[in-house]
Amino acid sequence: MPREAEPSLNERNFVSRALEEGLRVDGRKFDQCRPVSLKFGDEFGVAEVQFGKTKVLVKVSAEVTVPYTDRPFEGVFSIASELSPMVAPSFEVNRPTETEVLLSRMLEKTIRRSGALDTESLCLVAGKKCWSIRADVHVLSLDGNLTDAACLAVVAALRHFRKPDSSIEGEILTVYTPAEREPVPLSWLHSPFCITFSYFGEEGDTAVLLDTTWLEEQLRTSSCTFSLNRHGEICQVSKLGGVSIDAPVFVQCAQVALAKSKEYTELVDRKLAEDAKSRDKGGLMAELTAENDR
Amino acid sequence: MATTHTLLSPAELNYLHTSLSLRPPIRSDGRLPTQFRPLTAETGILQGTNGSACVTFSDGAEAIVGVKAEIEKTPDAQSGDEDKGKKARGDWVEISVEIPSQRDDDAGTIFLGEMLREALLGDGEFAKKLWINRRFHWRLHIDILLLSPALSYPLPLLSLTTHLALLATRLPKLKSEGDEDPMFDDDWESSVFVYPREGASEGTRPPITLLVVTVGDNVIFDPSKEELAVAETALAVSVAEVRREKSRGEMEVDTKGRELKLLSIRTIDPPSRLTPPGVPNGTATATDGKPASNLASETPVAGVWKAPLGGTKFSVVDGIVQAVLEKGGVADEVLDGLDGVELA
Amino acid sequence: MPLDTSTYSLALLRVDGRRWNELRRLHAQIRIQAAADGSSYLEMGNTKVMCVLTGPSEAQQQQQGQRRGQATAGGGKNASINVSIVVAGFASVDHKKRGRNDKRTQELELTIAKTFASVVHTHLFPNSSISLALHVLSADGSLLAALLNAATLALIDAGIPMSDYIAACTAGSTSSYAAADDSADPLLDLNTQEEQELPFITVATLGETDRVAVLNCESRVQVSRLEGMLAVAVDGCKEVKQLLDKAIKAKGAKMIREGAAEKSDAMAMDLDE
Repeated sequence: MPREAEPSLNERNFVSRALEEGLRVDGRKFDQCRPVSLKFGDEFGVAEVQFGKTKVLVKVSAEVTVPYTDRPFEGVFSIASELSPMVAPSFEVNRPTETEVLLSRMLEKTIRRSGALDTESLCLVAGKKCWSIRADVHVLSLDGNLTDAACLAVVAALRHFRKPDSSIEGEILTVYTPAEREPVPLSWLHSPFCITFSYFGEEGDTAVLLDTTWLEEQLRTSSCTFSLNRHGEICQVSKLGGVSIDAPVFVQCAQVALAKSKEYTELVDRKLAEDAKSRDKGGLMAELTAENDR
Repeated sequence: MATTHTLLSPAELNYLHTSLSLRPPIRSDGRLPTQFRPLTAETGILQGTNGSACVTFSDGAEAIVGVKAEIEKTPDAQSGDEDKGKKARGDWVEISVEIPSQRDDDAGTIFLGEMLREALLGDGEFAKKLWINRRFHWRLHIDILLLSPALSYPLPLLSLTTHLALLATRLPKLKSEGDEDPMFDDDWESSVFVYPREGASEGTRPPITLLVVTVGDNVIFDPSKEELAVAETALAVSVAEVRREKSRGEMEVDTKGRELKLLSIRTIDPPSRLTPPGVPNGTATATDGKPASNLASETPVAGVWKAPLGGTKFSVVDGIVQAVLEKGGVADEVLDGLDGVELA
Repeated sequence: MPLDTSTYSLALLRVDGRRWNELRRLHAQIRIQAAADGSSYLEMGNTKVMCVLTGPSEAQQQQQGQRRGQATAGGGKNASINVSIVVAGFASVDHKKRGRNDKRTQELELTIAKTFASVVHTHLFPNSSISLALHVLSADGSLLAALLNAATLALIDAGIPMSDYIAACTAGSTSSYAAADDSADPLLDLNTQEEQELPFITVATLGETDRVAVLNCESRVQVSRLEGMLAVAVDGCKEVKQLLDKAIKAKGAKMIREGAAEKSDAMAMDLDE
């Protein structure tokens, strides 16, 4: 089984000494993120997020299925994430690594369990038919801070997604093509975002970093991921082991995370508005007009 | 398959093998050939179950079994069907075995579970106890947990624990009649045992499965890990007591004896059959191909262990069955011992 | 089964009759199994777990597939800690089979392994592995906390050097995320019924310090509640640590009295109690 290459002793010492002096290897401030780019695809429900060299693509799809017998009034919503050997040789197909298990649990807790998507709105005929919404997370390249990037991408893609409109008359369900009826957005309740803090040093108090690179991530002694929405609701917190941290630090981190979450909300809102504008060709009249640009 | 290799040298294995082949055999822990490890047992330890038991052997091996019952609708209950009596199915019982350090889909673990299931359902009597009416039945989940690290092949331990847990299992008393939706008595005090207590107790009792090995001409019960490593044959023998109603007029002459029924015999693949690590190619039976050198001849060398070849003779199997079933034999003794356990 | 929280504000008593800052009965035992290197049994109310430890022993070269028990402190120079959790089918009210590939269980295993990798002095056992087998016999809330406490006890029983105890417990907040009232009281040590209704966090601290090794929250809660819950949980952990300590000292004293262990001259422990 291939293992990740570990940073050399020189690299370790260099990074940690620099952190002690208040510097990061790439010159950022401790709480400064790499430039974030969010792009939507031509299709609805495709979003690509880039944090520096970390790149995540999410595609959302919908199909009609039978609901689970124990939840007849709810649709099916699943988030699938798989890390392929394309990202790093240490990831193998069909053998979930620690990173992968934690990533999928994190997305599950942040987005699914917190009720960001109203699954009851996906129900078509109780106990018989419902929509199944599936978000596929593809990690294209990895340079640290995967959780935050993946979470942002999933939320953006789901908010961008439009599912085909449908109607029910009696027992007959009709699903309309985009030409017949405009597809409808999902019933979205709130947008939670993941913000990961990394702690360095033997006692975990040398530095607290945001948006770490892969090198920094390999050297951190502990990490904690907060998931919050802009209303200041924590959806999930997980500090799973690692070096112990003074309790008051978490309260400060939560405040930073809240500010960051508002920033991400604003980013997604702005990008969605831009995208909507570029798609809007002036309404039905503009489409029907025979006039051509000459 | 049974257990992985013990880290014993060929000389040590040979020493074990020779002392076990003596008549009478000398076992490394000083037990008699038919003697079990001393055990302590407890029942009714888990409040959330219908029946539970915990057994600890003197060497520290410990297992816990919980039995849980759920009501389930019987599929395709043809109401028009003539009353064919109680139609019961074996798949109403689910047995799961959990052994630490082994995957739950490991072939060995599944084999263990199936062996216990086979003994329990072998004669079809048990599933009938789960029949409520034509539309409903009990689904029984038997969860077997081995708590200690796997010392020797845990089959006897798990079987004895399951036996006790089943004896302690109670189901709520049925209040409704016929094929209507079942209603039960809320009072746990009035619940009924799956295996009725003394008195009107007729039918098969829960089975026990014993692990028996042979070394030379000796039949040895409840082998330890080391003994298993030199065993020539290992068999899992399942037996159960059958109680019949005594007719009034009959003189109670034979009250002491219990009638035992042989339910199943399975051969276990003992680790002694595997080629031990460090054996040159020439003597390894598994490599089949050309020997690395002809120096290693087939003649056994005194003082060096050699894996046994060939199968088990019928007379050996017969001898084992005799030893298990005879009056005052091992099964009798074990059941006597288990009868002494107070059922909660 | 909705929890009637209205009665709480009246009598200030919870469904099981406790006050807000009361722990459930904690019963701990160590050295319960002769065959294991270290073992423990822990009850926190109706949550009952058992830990059986093997090791430190020769590291198994990924023999049984990496899938089970996760090595955290990368082999070689340090000992690796493997954790496997078995949730018995009869552990909860309705029978539910949780496979070993269940991601939730895997996350628990990872959390426990990572927590102890930073507390146990793994550098003392190069190229070896410490395996913790955790059995859940009955689950009634605060599961992760109970598992962490049981693992601490088993490690101490096995005599494996570590910097301090890991003591864990849960804390909740009495108002759900929907109600934005500020009069919410924190609660200590939740049972299943409370866990289903209220937002809660699981906290593990390093001994009796304020240093948090594990902080886990899976429910929606206002960020302003975090501080209050954290404070209550940390205090609860201190209480748990003392209870664990007492269980270990009691067993130690018993072993000396029975002659199983020798009393050393340096020991300043009072055995008379």
